[in-house]
Amino acid sequence: MEYFLGSVKIMLIVYGLSAFIAMLVAGIIKLIFAGIRRQRVSAAAKVDAAVNPSSMPANSEPGKAA
Amino acid sequence: MQEIDFLYIFQGIATMVASDPLIVFARIVLILLGIAFVYLGAKGTLEPLIMIPMGVGMSSVNAAVLYLSKTTMGTIFLDPMASEPSQLMDVLQINFLQPIYTFTFSNGLIACLVFMGIGVITDIGYMLISPFRSMFIALCAELGTLLTFPIAVAMGLTYKEAASIAMVGGADGPMVLYTSLILAKDIFVPITIVAYLYLSLTYAGYPYLIRLMIPKHLRGIKMDSKQIPSFTTAEKMTFAVITCTLLCLLLPVAAPLFMSFFLGIIIRESDVKPFVEFISGPVLYGSTFFLGLLLGVLCEAATILNPKVILLLFLGITALLISGIGGIIGGYIVYWASGRNYNPVIGIAGVSCIPTTAKVAQKEARDANKFAMILPWAMGANICGVITSAIIAAVYVTLLR
Repeated sequence: MEYFLGSVKIMLIVYGLSAFIAMLVAGIIKLIFAGIRRQRVSAAAKVDAAVNPSSMPANSEPGKAA
Repeated sequence: MQEIDFLYIFQGIATMVASDPLIVFARIVLILLGIAFVYLGAKGTLEPLIMIPMGVGMSSVNAAVLYLSKTTMGTIFLDPMASEPSQLMDVLQINFLQPIYTFTFSNGLIACLVFMGIGVITDIGYMLISPFRSMFIALCAELGTLLTFPIAVAMGLTYKEAASIAMVGGADGPMVLYTSLILAKDIFVPITIVAYLYLSLTYAGYPYLIRLMIPKHLRGIKMDSKQIPSFTTAEKMTFAVITCTLLCLLLPVAAPLFMSFFLGIIIRESDVKPFVEFISGPVLYGSTFFLGLLLGVLCEAATILNPKVILLLFLGITALLISGIGGIIGGYIVYWASGRNYNPVIGIAGVSCIPTTAKVAQKEARDANKFAMILPWAMGANICGVITSAIIAAVYVTLLR
Protein backbone atom coordinates (compact mmCIF):
# COMPACT_ATOMS: atom_id res chain seq x y z
CA MET A 1 0.00 0.00 0.00
CA GLU A 2 2.84 2.33 0.91
CA TYR A 3 4.52 1.57 -2.40
CA PHE A 4 1.32 2.47 -4.27
CA LEU A 5 0.82 5.69 -2.29
CA GLY A 6 4.42 6.55 -3.13
CA SER A 7 3.59 6.21 -6.82
CA VAL A 8 0.62 8.58 -6.44
CA LYS A 9 2.93 11.08 -4.73
CA ILE A 10 5.48 10.74 -7.55
CA MET A 11 2.71 11.21 -10.13
CA LEU A 12 1.60 14.45 -8.50
CA ILE A 13 5.18 15.74 -8.29
CA VAL A 14 5.84 14.85 -11.93
CA TYR A 15 2.64 16.57 -13.08
CA GLY A 16 3.26 19.65 -10.94
CA LEU A 17 6.86 20.06 -12.15
CA SER A 18 5.96 19.35 -15.77
CA ALA A 19 3.04 21.81 -15.73
CA PHE A 20 5.29 24.48 -14.22
CA ILE A 21 8.03 23.98 -16.83
CA ALA A 22 5.53 23.79 -19.71
CA MET A 23 3.86 27.03 -18.65
CA LEU A 24 7.30 28.60 -18.22
CA VAL A 25 8.00 27.76 -21.88
CA ALA A 26 4.66 29.30 -22.90
CA GLY A 27 5.49 32.37 -20.80
CA ILE A 28 8.87 32.69 -22.55
CA ILE A 29 7.11 32.68 -25.92
CA LYS A 30 4.79 35.47 -24.77
CA LEU A 31 7.71 37.47 -23.33
CA ILE A 32 9.84 37.12 -26.46
CA PHE A 33 6.99 38.26 -28.68
CA ALA A 34 5.98 41.08 -26.37
CA GLY A 35 9.61 42.31 -26.50
CA ILE A 36 9.86 41.93 -30.27
CA ARG A 37 6.52 43.68 -30.91
CA ARG A 38 7.50 46.54 -28.59
CA GLN A 39 10.78 46.91 -30.43
CA ARG A 40 8.93 46.91 -33.77
CA VAL A 41 6.46 49.58 -32.59
CA SER A 42 9.22 51.85 -31.33
CA ALA A 43 11.25 51.32 -34.52
CA ALA A 44 8.18 52.14 -36.63
CA ALA A 45 7.54 55.25 -34.53
CA LYS A 46 11.14 56.38 -35.08
CA VAL A 47 10.86 55.87 -38.84
CA ASP A 48 7.53 57.69 -38.84
CA ALA A 49 9.01 60.57 -36.88
CA ALA A 50 11.99 60.81 -39.24
CA VAL A 51 9.72 60.89 -42.31
CA ASN A 52 7.12 63.24 -40.85
CA PRO A 53 8.53 65.42 -38.01
CA SER A 54 5.20 67.24 -37.48
CA SER A 55 3.62 64.01 -36.30
CA MET A 56 5.90 63.93 -33.23
CA PRO A 57 4.33 64.92 -29.92
CA ALA A 58 5.10 68.50 -28.87
CA ASN A 59 7.09 67.59 -25.77
CA SER A 60 9.37 65.28 -27.74
CA GLU A 61 10.91 68.14 -29.71
CA PRO A 62 14.56 68.61 -28.77
CA GLY A 63 14.08 72.19 -27.52
CA LYS A 64 11.15 71.28 -25.26
CA ALA A 65 12.32 67.95 -23.97
CA ALA A 66 13.56 69.27 -20.67
CA MET B 1 30.45 -42.79 -46.62
CA GLN B 2 29.64 -40.58 -43.64
CA GLU B 3 25.94 -40.30 -42.81
CA ILE B 4 24.47 -36.83 -43.42
CA ASP B 5 22.25 -35.36 -40.71
CA PHE B 6 19.80 -33.23 -42.69
CA LEU B 7 18.50 -31.58 -39.53
CA TYR B 8 22.02 -30.25 -38.96
CA ILE B 9 21.92 -28.61 -42.40
CA PHE B 10 18.48 -27.02 -41.87
CA GLN B 11 19.19 -25.66 -38.42
CA GLY B 12 16.15 -23.36 -38.27
CA ILE B 13 14.02 -26.52 -38.23
CA ALA B 14 16.48 -28.50 -36.08
CA THR B 15 16.34 -25.87 -33.33
CA MET B 16 12.55 -25.98 -33.44
CA VAL B 17 12.57 -29.74 -33.01
CA ALA B 18 14.99 -29.47 -30.09
CA SER B 19 13.29 -26.52 -28.32
CA ASP B 20 10.71 -26.35 -25.59
CA PRO B 21 7.16 -26.58 -27.13
CA LEU B 22 6.26 -23.15 -25.75
CA ILE B 23 9.26 -21.58 -27.50
CA VAL B 24 8.37 -23.40 -30.74
CA PHE B 25 4.80 -22.10 -30.52
CA ALA B 26 6.01 -18.55 -29.80
CA ARG B 27 8.44 -18.69 -32.74
CA ILE B 28 5.72 -19.79 -35.14
CA VAL B 29 3.29 -17.12 -33.85
CA LEU B 30 5.97 -14.41 -34.17
CA ILE B 31 6.86 -15.49 -37.72
CA LEU B 32 3.17 -15.26 -38.68
CA LEU B 33 2.78 -11.95 -36.82
CA GLY B 34 5.79 -10.54 -38.68
CA ILE B 35 4.27 -11.53 -42.02
CA ALA B 36 0.95 -9.96 -40.89
CA PHE B 37 2.76 -6.70 -39.99
CA VAL B 38 4.32 -6.56 -43.45
CA TYR B 39 0.92 -7.16 -45.07
CA LEU B 40 -0.94 -4.62 -42.87
CA GLY B 41 1.87 -2.09 -43.27
CA ALA B 42 1.87 -2.41 -47.07
CA LYS B 43 -1.93 -2.14 -47.03
CA GLY B 44 -1.74 1.06 -44.94
CA THR B 45 -3.68 -0.29 -41.93
CA LEU B 46 -0.53 -0.01 -39.78
CA GLU B 47 2.25 2.58 -40.13
CA PRO B 48 4.31 1.19 -43.07
CA LEU B 49 7.53 3.07 -42.26
CA ILE B 50 7.93 1.12 -39.03
CA MET B 51 5.85 -1.99 -39.57
CA ILE B 52 7.35 -3.26 -42.84
CA PRO B 53 10.99 -3.43 -41.62
CA MET B 54 9.77 -4.57 -38.20
CA GLY B 55 7.68 -7.39 -39.67
CA VAL B 56 10.52 -8.62 -41.88
CA GLY B 57 12.93 -8.49 -38.92
CA MET B 58 10.49 -10.31 -36.64
CA SER B 59 9.74 -13.18 -39.03
CA SER B 60 13.38 -13.58 -40.08
CA VAL B 61 14.89 -13.61 -36.59
CA ASN B 62 12.42 -16.21 -35.33
CA ALA B 63 13.03 -18.43 -38.34
CA ALA B 64 16.82 -18.09 -38.29
CA VAL B 65 17.67 -19.69 -34.96
CA LEU B 66 20.77 -21.89 -35.20
CA TYR B 67 23.29 -23.73 -33.04
CA LEU B 68 25.98 -21.25 -31.98
CA SER B 69 27.79 -24.12 -30.24
CA LYS B 70 26.85 -27.73 -29.51
CA THR B 71 24.54 -26.71 -26.69
CA THR B 72 23.57 -23.07 -27.23
CA MET B 73 21.04 -21.72 -29.69
CA GLY B 74 20.83 -18.19 -30.98
CA THR B 75 20.94 -16.00 -34.07
CA ILE B 76 23.61 -14.08 -35.91
CA PHE B 77 21.50 -10.91 -36.04
CA LEU B 78 22.40 -9.29 -32.73
CA ASP B 79 22.85 -9.98 -29.03
CA PRO B 80 21.17 -7.26 -26.94
CA MET B 81 22.61 -8.63 -23.69
CA ALA B 82 26.31 -8.49 -24.68
CA SER B 83 27.98 -6.02 -22.34
CA GLU B 84 31.45 -7.32 -21.41
CA PRO B 85 34.06 -5.59 -23.63
CA SER B 86 35.62 -8.82 -24.93
CA GLN B 87 32.22 -10.43 -25.53
CA LEU B 88 31.03 -7.24 -27.23
CA MET B 89 34.09 -7.20 -29.51
CA ASP B 90 33.30 -10.79 -30.53
CA VAL B 91 29.64 -10.18 -31.32
CA LEU B 92 30.43 -6.92 -33.13
CA GLN B 93 32.43 -8.98 -35.61
CA ILE B 94 29.87 -11.76 -35.95
CA ASN B 95 26.34 -10.36 -35.66
CA PHE B 96 25.56 -8.23 -38.68
CA LEU B 97 23.18 -5.76 -36.96
CA GLN B 98 25.24 -5.54 -33.76
CA PRO B 99 27.19 -2.38 -34.75
CA ILE B 100 23.95 -0.49 -35.47
CA TYR B 101 22.37 -1.75 -32.24
CA THR B 102 25.37 -1.01 -30.04
CA PHE B 103 26.33 2.37 -31.48
CA THR B 104 22.92 3.86 -32.27
CA PHE B 105 20.14 2.00 -30.49
CA SER B 106 21.27 1.06 -27.00
CA ASN B 107 22.61 4.56 -26.30
CA GLY B 108 19.46 6.34 -27.51
CA LEU B 109 21.15 7.96 -30.53
CA ILE B 110 18.55 6.62 -32.95
CA ALA B 111 15.74 8.19 -30.85
CA CYS B 112 17.58 11.52 -30.97
CA LEU B 113 18.05 11.27 -34.75
CA VAL B 114 14.33 10.62 -35.23
CA PHE B 115 13.61 13.57 -32.96
CA MET B 116 15.97 15.78 -35.00
CA GLY B 117 14.10 14.75 -38.15
CA ILE B 118 10.77 15.58 -36.48
CA GLY B 119 12.22 19.01 -35.61
CA VAL B 120 13.15 19.67 -39.23
CA ILE B 121 9.65 18.86 -40.50
CA THR B 122 7.93 20.87 -37.72
CA ASP B 123 6.86 24.47 -38.26
CA ILE B 124 7.20 25.92 -34.76
CA GLY B 125 5.10 28.90 -35.89
CA TYR B 126 1.92 26.90 -35.20
CA MET B 127 2.87 26.62 -31.55
CA LEU B 128 3.36 30.35 -31.27
CA ILE B 129 -0.27 31.15 -32.24
CA SER B 130 -1.65 30.65 -28.72
CA PRO B 131 1.06 29.08 -26.56
CA PHE B 132 -0.81 28.97 -23.24
CA ARG B 133 -3.90 27.30 -24.71
CA SER B 134 -1.82 24.80 -26.69
CA MET B 135 0.36 24.00 -23.69
CA PHE B 136 -2.72 23.58 -21.47
CA ILE B 137 -4.26 21.13 -23.94
CA ALA B 138 -0.97 19.23 -24.20
CA LEU B 139 -0.81 18.94 -20.40
CA CYS B 140 -4.38 17.57 -20.32
CA ALA B 141 -3.41 15.07 -23.04
CA GLU B 142 -0.65 13.74 -20.75
CA LEU B 143 -3.29 12.38 -18.38
CA GLY B 144 -2.57 8.83 -19.54
CA THR B 145 1.17 9.27 -18.98
CA LEU B 146 0.46 10.22 -15.39
CA LEU B 147 -2.49 8.02 -14.35
CA THR B 148 -0.99 4.88 -15.89
CA PHE B 149 2.00 5.20 -13.56
CA PRO B 150 0.13 4.39 -10.30
CA ILE B 151 -2.10 1.90 -12.16
CA ALA B 152 1.01 0.02 -13.33
CA VAL B 153 2.48 0.10 -9.83
CA ALA B 154 -0.79 -1.28 -8.44
CA MET B 155 -0.51 -4.12 -10.96
CA GLY B 156 2.91 -5.12 -9.70
CA LEU B 157 5.46 -3.21 -11.79
CA THR B 158 8.35 -1.34 -10.22
CA TYR B 159 8.44 2.47 -10.36
CA LYS B 160 10.98 2.40 -13.21
CA GLU B 161 9.00 -0.11 -15.27
CA ALA B 162 5.74 1.73 -14.53
CA ALA B 163 7.18 5.07 -15.67
CA SER B 164 8.50 3.48 -18.88
CA ILE B 165 5.16 1.95 -19.89
CA ALA B 166 3.27 5.07 -18.76
CA MET B 167 5.25 7.06 -21.35
CA VAL B 168 3.21 5.26 -24.05
CA GLY B 169 0.47 7.75 -23.06
CA GLY B 170 2.63 10.49 -24.55
CA ALA B 171 2.26 8.66 -27.89
CA ASP B 172 5.82 9.51 -28.85
CA GLY B 173 7.86 6.48 -29.97
CA PRO B 174 11.39 7.90 -29.57
CA MET B 175 10.45 9.17 -26.10
CA VAL B 176 9.23 5.74 -24.96
CA LEU B 177 12.43 4.17 -26.33
CA TYR B 178 14.62 6.77 -24.60
CA THR B 179 12.84 6.45 -21.22
CA SER B 180 12.68 2.65 -21.19
CA LEU B 181 16.34 2.32 -22.24
CA ILE B 182 17.35 4.38 -19.20
CA LEU B 183 14.80 3.16 -16.66
CA ALA B 184 13.86 -0.43 -17.59
CA LYS B 185 16.54 -1.93 -19.80
CA ASP B 186 15.32 -5.51 -19.10
CA ILE B 187 11.90 -4.90 -20.64
CA PHE B 188 12.61 -2.05 -23.04
CA VAL B 189 12.06 -4.33 -26.03
CA PRO B 190 8.45 -5.32 -25.22
CA ILE B 191 7.64 -1.79 -24.03
CA THR B 192 8.91 -0.20 -27.26
CA ILE B 193 7.17 -2.79 -29.42
CA VAL B 194 3.89 -2.23 -27.55
CA ALA B 195 4.36 1.54 -27.99
CA TYR B 196 4.98 1.41 -31.74
CA LEU B 197 2.21 -1.11 -32.27
CA TYR B 198 -0.34 1.09 -30.56
CA LEU B 199 0.98 4.34 -32.06
CA SER B 200 0.38 2.96 -35.50
CA LEU B 201 -3.20 2.26 -34.45
CA THR B 202 -4.00 5.79 -33.17
CA TYR B 203 -4.92 6.88 -36.68
CA ALA B 204 -7.62 4.20 -36.71
CA GLY B 205 -8.76 4.40 -33.07
CA TYR B 206 -8.89 8.08 -32.10
CA PRO B 207 -11.59 9.11 -34.64
CA TYR B 208 -14.06 6.84 -32.81
CA LEU B 209 -13.12 8.43 -29.48
CA ILE B 210 -13.68 11.92 -30.96
CA ARG B 211 -17.09 10.96 -32.37
CA LEU B 212 -18.03 9.35 -29.06
CA MET B 213 -17.12 12.37 -26.93
CA ILE B 214 -17.86 15.38 -29.17
CA PRO B 215 -21.23 15.98 -30.88
CA LYS B 216 -21.17 16.82 -34.58
CA HIS B 217 -22.15 20.50 -34.19
CA LEU B 218 -19.14 21.07 -31.91
CA ARG B 219 -16.78 19.12 -34.18
CA GLY B 220 -17.64 21.49 -37.00
CA ILE B 221 -16.85 24.76 -35.17
CA LYS B 222 -14.83 27.04 -37.46
CA MET B 223 -11.73 28.72 -36.06
CA ASP B 224 -11.07 32.37 -36.83
CA SER B 225 -8.09 32.36 -39.19
CA LYS B 226 -7.58 36.10 -38.55
CA GLN B 227 -6.21 35.05 -35.15
CA ILE B 228 -3.12 33.59 -36.84
CA PRO B 229 -0.26 36.05 -36.63
CA SER B 230 2.77 35.71 -38.87
CA PHE B 231 6.17 35.06 -37.36
CA THR B 232 9.56 35.87 -38.78
CA THR B 233 12.40 33.37 -38.97
CA ALA B 234 14.30 35.42 -36.38
CA GLU B 235 11.38 35.17 -33.93
CA LYS B 236 11.09 31.42 -34.34
CA MET B 237 14.85 30.92 -33.96
CA THR B 238 14.97 33.16 -30.88
CA PHE B 239 12.25 31.08 -29.28
CA ALA B 240 13.93 27.78 -30.22
CA VAL B 241 17.37 28.78 -28.91
CA ILE B 242 16.08 30.20 -25.61
CA THR B 243 13.69 27.30 -24.93
CA CYS B 244 16.30 24.68 -25.81
CA THR B 245 18.86 26.27 -23.49
CA LEU B 246 16.33 26.64 -20.67
CA LEU B 247 15.08 23.04 -20.93
CA CYS B 248 18.65 21.68 -21.05
CA LEU B 249 19.47 23.77 -17.99
CA LEU B 250 16.44 22.52 -16.06
CA LEU B 251 16.52 18.86 -17.15
CA PRO B 252 20.02 17.84 -18.30
CA VAL B 253 19.08 14.15 -18.37
CA ALA B 254 16.89 14.75 -21.44
CA ALA B 255 19.22 17.34 -22.98
CA PRO B 256 20.08 15.06 -25.96
CA LEU B 257 16.37 14.89 -26.87
CA PHE B 258 15.75 18.62 -26.37
CA MET B 259 18.87 19.55 -28.31
CA SER B 260 18.02 17.21 -31.19
CA PHE B 261 14.46 18.52 -31.52
CA PHE B 262 15.34 22.21 -31.32
CA LEU B 263 18.41 21.77 -33.54
CA GLY B 264 16.06 20.36 -36.17
CA ILE B 265 13.79 23.39 -35.79
CA ILE B 266 16.70 25.83 -36.00
CA ILE B 267 18.10 24.12 -39.10
CA ARG B 268 14.67 24.34 -40.74
CA GLU B 269 14.33 28.02 -39.91
CA SER B 270 17.90 28.88 -40.92
CA ASP B 271 17.01 27.34 -44.31
CA VAL B 272 20.40 25.72 -44.90
CA LYS B 273 19.01 23.59 -47.70
CA PRO B 274 21.68 20.81 -47.74
CA PHE B 275 21.17 20.23 -43.98
CA VAL B 276 17.38 20.39 -44.25
CA GLU B 277 17.37 17.84 -47.08
CA PHE B 278 19.89 15.61 -45.30
CA ILE B 279 18.08 15.54 -41.95
CA SER B 280 14.52 15.39 -43.28
CA GLY B 281 15.50 12.67 -45.78
CA PRO B 282 18.35 10.24 -45.11
CA VAL B 283 18.64 10.87 -41.36
CA LEU B 284 14.91 10.72 -40.54
CA TYR B 285 14.00 7.87 -42.88
CA GLY B 286 17.26 5.98 -42.30
CA SER B 287 16.73 6.14 -38.52
CA THR B 288 13.08 5.14 -38.81
CA PHE B 289 14.00 2.21 -41.04
CA PHE B 290 16.69 0.87 -38.71
CA LEU B 291 14.50 1.53 -35.67
CA GLY B 292 11.77 -0.66 -37.17
CA LEU B 293 14.22 -3.33 -38.29
CA LEU B 294 15.98 -3.50 -34.91
CA LEU B 295 12.68 -3.64 -33.04
CA GLY B 296 11.64 -6.56 -35.23
CA VAL B 297 14.94 -8.37 -34.75
CA LEU B 298 14.67 -7.86 -30.99
CA CYS B 299 11.31 -9.70 -31.00
CA GLU B 300 12.79 -13.10 -30.34
CA ALA B 301 10.49 -15.70 -28.80
CA ALA B 302 12.44 -15.80 -25.55
CA THR B 303 12.10 -12.02 -25.12
CA ILE B 304 8.41 -11.90 -25.94
CA LEU B 305 7.58 -14.80 -23.62
CA ASN B 306 8.21 -12.44 -20.70
CA PRO B 307 5.07 -12.77 -18.48
CA LYS B 308 4.93 -8.98 -18.22
CA VAL B 309 4.07 -8.59 -21.91
CA ILE B 310 0.30 -9.13 -21.42
CA LEU B 311 0.36 -6.55 -18.64
CA LEU B 312 2.30 -4.12 -20.86
CA LEU B 313 -0.23 -4.60 -23.66
CA PHE B 314 -3.07 -3.69 -21.28
CA LEU B 315 -1.24 -0.73 -19.74
CA GLY B 316 -0.16 0.64 -23.13
CA ILE B 317 -3.70 0.81 -24.49
CA THR B 318 -4.95 2.22 -21.15
CA ALA B 319 -2.34 5.00 -21.30
CA LEU B 320 -3.26 5.97 -24.87
CA LEU B 321 -6.99 5.87 -24.15
CA ILE B 322 -6.72 8.03 -21.01
CA SER B 323 -4.47 10.51 -22.86
CA GLY B 324 -6.99 10.81 -25.70
CA ILE B 325 -9.83 11.39 -23.21
CA GLY B 326 -7.67 13.91 -21.30
CA GLY B 327 -6.89 15.80 -24.51
CA ILE B 328 -10.56 16.05 -25.47
CA ILE B 329 -11.45 17.21 -21.93
CA GLY B 330 -8.73 19.87 -22.34
CA GLY B 331 -10.31 20.87 -25.66
CA TYR B 332 -13.70 21.24 -23.92
CA ILE B 333 -12.20 23.36 -21.11
CA VAL B 334 -10.65 25.75 -23.64
CA TYR B 335 -13.93 25.76 -25.60
CA TRP B 336 -15.87 26.93 -22.54
CA ALA B 337 -13.14 29.30 -21.33
CA SER B 338 -12.93 31.00 -24.73
CA GLY B 339 -16.64 31.75 -24.96
CA ARG B 340 -17.44 28.70 -27.11
CA ASN B 341 -15.23 29.88 -29.97
CA TYR B 342 -12.82 26.99 -29.90
CA ASN B 343 -13.18 23.62 -31.60
CA PRO B 344 -12.80 20.95 -28.86
CA VAL B 345 -11.55 18.41 -31.42
CA ILE B 346 -8.19 20.23 -31.25
CA GLY B 347 -7.81 18.59 -27.82
CA ILE B 348 -6.97 15.20 -29.35
CA ALA B 349 -3.96 16.81 -31.07
CA GLY B 350 -2.44 17.41 -27.63
CA VAL B 351 -1.49 13.72 -27.78
CA SER B 352 1.93 14.16 -29.29
CA CYS B 353 1.90 11.60 -32.09
CA ILE B 354 3.08 14.26 -34.52
CA PRO B 355 1.53 14.93 -37.03
CA THR B 356 -0.93 12.00 -36.94
CA THR B 357 -3.25 13.31 -34.21
CA ALA B 358 -3.35 16.80 -35.76
CA LYS B 359 -4.35 15.23 -39.08
CA VAL B 360 -7.00 13.13 -37.32
CA ALA B 361 -8.41 16.27 -35.67
CA GLN B 362 -8.53 18.15 -39.00
CA LYS B 363 -10.17 15.22 -40.76
CA GLU B 364 -12.86 14.87 -38.10
CA ALA B 365 -13.58 18.61 -38.12
CA ARG B 366 -13.81 18.66 -41.92
CA ASP B 367 -16.12 15.62 -41.93
CA ALA B 368 -18.49 17.54 -39.65
CA ASN B 369 -18.18 20.87 -41.51
CA LYS B 370 -16.35 21.08 -44.82
CA PHE B 371 -15.35 24.71 -44.09
CA ALA B 372 -13.77 23.93 -40.70
CA MET B 373 -10.01 24.55 -40.80
CA ILE B 374 -8.37 23.72 -37.48
CA LEU B 375 -5.00 22.31 -38.60
CA PRO B 376 -2.82 25.28 -37.51
CA TRP B 377 -4.22 25.13 -33.94
CA ALA B 378 -4.07 21.34 -33.91
CA MET B 379 -0.41 21.44 -35.00
CA GLY B 380 0.26 23.96 -32.21
CA ALA B 381 -1.19 21.60 -29.60
CA ASN B 382 0.70 18.72 -31.26
CA ILE B 383 4.09 20.46 -31.00
CA CYS B 384 3.33 21.43 -27.39
CA GLY B 385 2.53 17.74 -26.83
CA VAL B 386 6.01 16.77 -28.03
CA ILE B 387 7.56 19.30 -25.65
CA THR B 388 5.42 18.25 -22.64
CA SER B 389 6.16 14.56 -23.34
CA ALA B 390 9.88 15.32 -23.34
CA ILE B 391 9.52 17.30 -20.10
CA ILE B 392 7.55 14.50 -18.38
CA ALA B 393 10.07 11.88 -19.60
CA ALA B 394 12.89 14.02 -18.25
CA VAL B 395 11.20 14.48 -14.87
CA TYR B 396 10.47 10.72 -14.56
CA VAL B 397 14.05 9.83 -15.51
CA THR B 398 15.53 12.45 -13.17
CA LEU B 399 13.39 11.32 -10.22
CA LEU B 400 13.63 7.55 -10.73
CA ARG B 401 17.02 6.86 -12.32
